[in-house]
Formats: sequence, C-alpha cells, structure tokens
Amino acid sequence: MKFDALIIGGGRSGSAAGRALLSRGLHVCVVADGLHLGVDGADPYAHLNALAREGATVLRGDRALRGIWEEGRLRAVQTVKLEDEPIEASVFVLATGKFFSRGLLSDMERVYEPVFGADVSFLSGRSNWYAADFFAPQPFLDFGVQTDPEGHVLFGGVPCPNLYAVGGILAKGAAAADPARISLSTQD
Amino acid sequence: MTQEFDVIIVGGGVTGAAAARDCALRGLRTLLLERGDICDGASGRNHGLLHSGARYAVTDPEGARECIRENQILRRVASSCVEPCDGLFITLPEDSLEYQDRFVQACRAAGIAAEPISPEEALRLEPAVNPALIGAVKVPDASVDPFRLTDANIIDAVRHGATILKFHTVTEFIKEKGRIAGVRALPHGESGPLEFRAREVVLAAGIWTAELARSAGVRIEMLPSKGALIIFGHRVAGMVINRCRKPANADILVPGDVVSVLGTTSDKVPLDTIDDMHATPEEVDLLLWEGVQLVPALASTRVIRAYAGVRPLVMAGGEGDGRNVSRGIVVLDHELRDGVPGLITITGGKLTTSRLMAELVTDKVCEKLGVKAPCRTALDPLPGSEKRHPKAEEPYFKRAAIGRHGSEADRMDFKRGREIICECEQVTRAEIAWAVQTLGVRNISDLRRHTRIGMGTCQGSFCIRKVARVLAEELGKPELERDFIADYLQERWKGMTPVLWGDTLREAEYMQTMHRDEI
Repeated sequence: MKFDALIIGGGRSGSAAGRALLSRGLHVCVVADGLHLGVDGADPYAHLNALAREGATVLRGDRALRGIWEEGRLRAVQTVKLEDEPIEASVFVLATGKFFSRGLLSDMERVYEPVFGADVSFLSGRSNWYAADFFAPQPFLDFGVQTDPEGHVLFGGVPCPNLYAVGGILAKGAAAADPARISLSTQD
Repeated sequence: MTQEFDVIIVGGGVTGAAAARDCALRGLRTLLLERGDICDGASGRNHGLLHSGARYAVTDPEGARECIRENQILRRVASSCVEPCDGLFITLPEDSLEYQDRFVQACRAAGIAAEPISPEEALRLEPAVNPALIGAVKVPDASVDPFRLTDANIIDAVRHGATILKFHTVTEFIKEKGRIAGVRALPHGESGPLEFRAREVVLAAGIWTAELARSAGVRIEMLPSKGALIIFGHRVAGMVINRCRKPANADILVPGDVVSVLGTTSDKVPLDTIDDMHATPEEVDLLLWEGVQLVPALASTRVIRAYAGVRPLVMAGGEGDGRNVSRGIVVLDHELRDGVPGLITITGGKLTTSRLMAELVTDKVCEKLGVKAPCRTALDPLPGSEKRHPKAEEPYFKRAAIGRHGSEADRMDFKRGREIICECEQVTRAEIAWAVQTLGVRNISDLRRHTRIGMGTCQGSFCIRKVARVLAEELGKPELERDFIADYLQERWKGMTPVLWGDTLREAEYMQTMHRDEI
C-alpha cells in the first residue's frame, strides 16, 4: 500500500491533520488504534467516519510498530496487522498522543516514543515528573517529542524531513506541523 | 460535662481496638479515643501478613513462639479477616542452604510447622517463585486484612458496651494527687475539649505514644522505623513468599484479596516526620530491585501504589536501623516504672500479636482495678467470623460483602441499596450505608479503609464521583460531595506518585484529564 500521507493516530489531532491533507487532494491513510483520552465520547469516531467517507483509508484497530528508513527519510511503517506489508507514504504525521494512548511510554527511568524512537524531552529523576499536589501543574504532562519550527520530528537533534508531529505527543513548546504546509517534495 | 469510665484507651489502631474489645468483654466501662480514623497509622500501613513466626525463628525465638500461637488463634477467631494461604521461604543461589537448615531447626524449636520441600515442589505449589531457587521451606504464614481485623474488634467492643470516639485528639492528661485521672480530648471541628475520667488510661498510640507519654510526664524512648511498601495490581502469587535469609529489605511478598504487597524497608526517621509518611521513588526502586529476586514477574506487573508506615519500636539501648531493636511486646506500668499511677503503655509488637498485646495490657488494667474476669478473646470469634460463608445463590455483590465482612454482611440493607458503586471491589450502597452507621465513616478515605472502595486497579478514577455522591447522601451532607472528591484525589495521588511510570503514568494522565478541572 502506498499513500501520499500516513497519519499515525486517529484522535482529534490525527483526524484534523488527515482532513487538511485530504482537502489538498492527497491520498491519505490513518492508522487509528481506538485509544483516545476520551471525555468526548463518540466524537473521534465521527471524525474518522467522516474522513473515510471523504476518501481516506482508515485502518481501525491497528497500531504502528516501527518505521522502515531509507537514506534519512521514513519510507514506510509496519503495523500490528500489516507487519508483512508495510504502508508506504511520502510524508508521515505522528499523532499518537501522550501516555494514555501509548504515544509515549515510560519505564522507571525514562520516557520514550515507542514507534520511531524520536527525541523526547522529559526530566531526569522520577521525583521530578510530578507535583505532589494533584491540582498543581504536572510536569509529566509537558513531556513529549521534540520538533523543529516546521514540526519535523527530531532524532538526535536532527529533523527527519518527512516525519511530522501534531497534537498531544508534542513536548510543551514544541512546534506542531501545519498540515496545510506539509510538503510532499522529496527534495527538502 | 465529664464522662466517667473504668478505662480509657488512647489510640484506635489494631492494638487499641483489640484492647477496647478485651476490656469491654471483661465488663469494664471502656472508652477508646482516636484522633483520626480507625487504622489511620501503622495498623493500616503494613503488609497484612499474619506471621507464622518463621521470619523471627533464628533471630528472636521468643517472638517466633508468640507469633505462631497468635497465628493459630487468629485463624480461628478472626477467620473472616485471615486467608490461610501458607508461605514459602525460598533460598536463592546467592543465599546459603546451611542457613536454611538452621532456619528449619529454629522454626521447629519454636513450634512452627516448617517443611523443607524441593525446588520443583515449591514451583508446583507457587509457580511465581524465582525458578532459580535452590531450596524452599513451607510455613503456616497467612494473609490478614488489618482493616477488617481492627473493625471487627471495634464492632465487638461497641456491642459489649464500649464507647468509641474517633476524631478526638487528646490534648491533655488530667493529673490529680500525682496520678493520671483521665484526659481532655478535642473533638475535631469543636472549639473546646471534653473531659473524660477513668481509673486507668492506656496508651496504645503506636509511634505517637512517645509524644503522649511526654505530655503525661513520663519518658519513653522510641525509635521510629519507617517501612515502605508497594502494591501490585494483581495477585501475582497465591502464597506469602519470603527470602530465607536474615531479615532484610523487600523480602516478603504477601497476597491480599486481588493484589500483592511487597515490602518493606526499615529506616530510622526523625520523630517530627511521622505525621507525613509517604514512600519515595528511591524506596520504590529499591523494593522492586529486591522483589524481582523473589518473584521475577514483578518486573512486568503494574505497580498501583506505594505507601509507608512507622513501626513503634521501643529503644532497648543502642542505635540501629530498626531491625536490631526489639520488636517484642512492651507493657509499661508507669506506676512502677515512673511513679505515675493511672497510666499504662502498650507498644512494640506486631499486627500478628495484637490480640496478645491487648490481652496483656487488659490483664494489667484488671490487676490495677482488682477485676478478676478472664480473657476470652482467644476463644470467642470476632464479629463476622462466625462461620458465615457466601452461598452460591446469593448475588455476587453480596458474596463480595461477605468476603469482606463475614456475617456482618447480613446486617446490610441490600433491599434498599443494591446498586454497585465501586465496580473494582463490588461495593454497594448498602455496604456504604452500613459503614456510615456501624463504623462512623466520615469521608472517602475512611470508607476506603473499611470497605476497600477505590482500592482496586482504577484507584477510584471511575467511581469517585459516584462514591462522593452516595457517601454525602448517606451522611445527609450533600454539600460535602466536592470536598470528598478533592480530598480523595489528593490522597490517591500521594500513593501513586512514587510509582508513576508505565501503566500508572497512563492512568495518571487519565485521572488528571477526568478530574482536575472539576474542582
């Protein structure tokens, strides 16, 4: 399967990015594993349904496993259900959210992004991850992937030219990609 | 107005509750004063382990004998609080089989049925143990619910005429002609203290005994020893699993209902920190590091919470980390010891020996008062433990309540309140109403201790609003609903933060999203 754009994550941000790319006439696929930090009930599903009606390919109940790279660019993504048939695309948008939706995982020492191993900003030392007061601002909610000013995801500080991030997975202050300006050119 | 009693017990932990019951059973007019809720201190912050005594057989044979006797008694009289799951002491390659031999001999000398079994047999009995083990000993350890045990004592004390006043802080001892003649205690939310008089006052306040004793004019040197524990979201093992070596950090895993508790640490802490005890991320890391040696599956099991209690150890001279100091039962007759009649202290000991501690201090009270009634607590079953087992035809939620409270569940009004409020633990409105009426529950934390509400894997994330509403209704104080929610979230947060990674961090984000903007 090959698309112009593959959106990884079918929550609010992923759906919005999908719709924006679709409106540019692009061939869009969304991998949506159905875990939304959802107090908005059926809303994310309505968005996905609309995307599907408008021509996007929506892979429900699937989850990205890892990327396949070629000369510093992301070429394809393997998913749980399509491990043997990686989904190719020109651009990729990472919209997997934070911890609840498993866009970010953590162990006793670190916070990481499990699909691509993107740069994640977090504080070292678990005692710095939280505020003792439940109602105070919680540092862990600011953790997330790092991007350049155009929203390209960083790896070792270097932006990946065709992998963008939007939504909850972003670190506080990191720039979100603007789907209207995502370039399909392979030259950048 | 002054109220008169034969005996006042200060402290509503398991020891104070058992002492109140024993005194009441012996016909004494008994008052128990507790500054917070029942089981607020170390009684509610421990492993929930009913020791067989095996852990102390090598280092403290007398303590071991006490434990096995009490273990056998509580299995009988507190059957609804005890799960007779048995325990294993495992020897790992880095430990010594010679120590295991010594251990078995010491157990047998103390009267503990210790049965060496092969590693294969150990793995068959308990598949969760580290398969690298080179030896194992089966012992009659058990799991005991400290909340239920304390509640059962309180309920029986009340039925035998005792007065239990929670949320009453003792502010002053009444001294007359050189003797302690009672106390003044301030009910929470009131402006002035009440006066209570008695012929004997018993201090059973755990680690807070030192401060109370000081204000009564006697000196007790105590060594606050902090023990941190962590709770796993599953019943990883069906038996108590111990390490067969000299007692050390994180070498006991105890199953309790549907969870498992791993602990503990033992660190001396300053007396001025005992009111704000919480586990730290560093303690959690240490516990887990050691715990996976016992049960490797702990490495991949969700940790839902960490907590800490303070052991009320009494200084026997010298300094230590808390493991070298006597954990034996200490009854202090302050008339003999300090020339202060009317005051007795009961401290030291363990959850396992709480009934015996109560018996010893009640004996002392009776001796002082010239009362000759014999102790019956080793024979009479506690409320809830009168052989009431769930029947298959009873609805599931009622069977869950019977599992928690034994025959007390028959006093719950399921006709009125059959809706399930906490789904993890299957707690109904009827059980909440019972806890309000019978146990004087005043907030969600109280309710949690007495019903397990919010103790399940969701830690209250899903049920907290329902719980707050129903509790406020049952109390007839709907205006408290929002405060209940805020207080409870804060209380859960305290236990979650030291273990905030993996799935617990996932849940934390969920909890924050669901609840933080509401208050």
